[in-house]
Amino acid sequence: MNILIGTLFLALVAAWVGRRVRAAGLGAEAKARYLRTAAFTLPRMLVALLGAGFLAELVPEGHIEELFGASSGWRGLFLATVLGPVTPGGAFVSFALGATALKAGAAVGPVMAYVTGWSLFSMTKILAYEMPLMGRRPTWMRVAVTWPVPLLLGAVVMAAGWGP
Amino acid sequence: MDLARENVTLRAMTPGPRKFIDSGFVILIVVTLVAGAAVAWRDGWGHVGEVAWHTLGFLGILLPKVLLGLFVAAAIPLLLPRETIASWIGRDSGLKGLAVASLAGVLIPGGPSMSFALAAGFLAAGADLGAAVAYVTSWSLLSLNRILIWELTFLPYDFVALRILLSLPVPIIAGALARALMRRAAA
Repeated sequence: MNILIGTLFLALVAAWVGRRVRAAGLGAEAKARYLRTAAFTLPRMLVALLGAGFLAELVPEGHIEELFGASSGWRGLFLATVLGPVTPGGAFVSFALGATALKAGAAVGPVMAYVTGWSLFSMTKILAYEMPLMGRRPTWMRVAVTWPVPLLLGAVVMAAGWGP
Repeated sequence: MDLARENVTLRAMTPGPRKFIDSGFVILIVVTLVAGAAVAWRDGWGHVGEVAWHTLGFLGILLPKVLLGLFVAAAIPLLLPRETIASWIGRDSGLKGLAVASLAGVLIPGGPSMSFALAAGFLAAGADLGAAVAYVTSWSLLSLNRILIWELTFLPYDFVALRILLSLPVPIIAGALARALMRRAAA
């Protein structure tokens, strides 16, 4: 269902963008960029989805509830926050692992901290792209002002008692 | 001067390094192979085949959405008013500049090679560090393209909605904090 909603929404956006691009006389360039982007992304996506599938199999489901369940408290939040940035691969890997953990009995708070920790501080993103493209100072500045965010979001969720 | 500025931004708007095999892809392949081997070692190659088959089916369902998202991500930079955006997020742009930078992070699609290059381009074109921090933070937490293509594919929608709601103020706060830190360092 979620997939269908996203597909329909993106179809509308793509139709609008396609019309604007053609109206601006940039149709050919848009097509070339699209093909380049697709050639770059699709192989990575295939490998990443396979990797996410294997990693999800390896998640020790029996230990998830103990480590990240409702009673795991701060320990679960801290562990989840640390695991986020060291998760390799793209968005799909962290989202797939988060979803697997939720199904296996993790509370919403730790999964929130995990997904947020990956989003903000993925080591692959920082080392492969942010440091080389933006430089050290902007990278450290960003980390300095956002490092508590994953813990904070997880703690808010935990304190409010949201989720299973 | 203006020409040079425009050049920097233009270069930053084109997708970054696009080698077919780069270090990110190599890491991904190694992780996948190791994880696959671990599954094979524990459950046998038959199970590896099952997981792979299941993944391919999933990819088939995802493909229309992914292709649409890729088109949007590839084409939208062509429509962006680059200089206008750069002028909106300068040093004296105040809260409005942070809001524009945050909105740009939500709406401008693309992976890390594109987004960090764009942020570097904004910096080179006169945006302040606060705006760049707001943009990168917003892209990291709230990129619409990633939420639609990936997050909603895997995670339940109420989880996603809660995460978005809680993350909404973060980019602007982060940008304002960065500005405050820089003022303090300059003083």
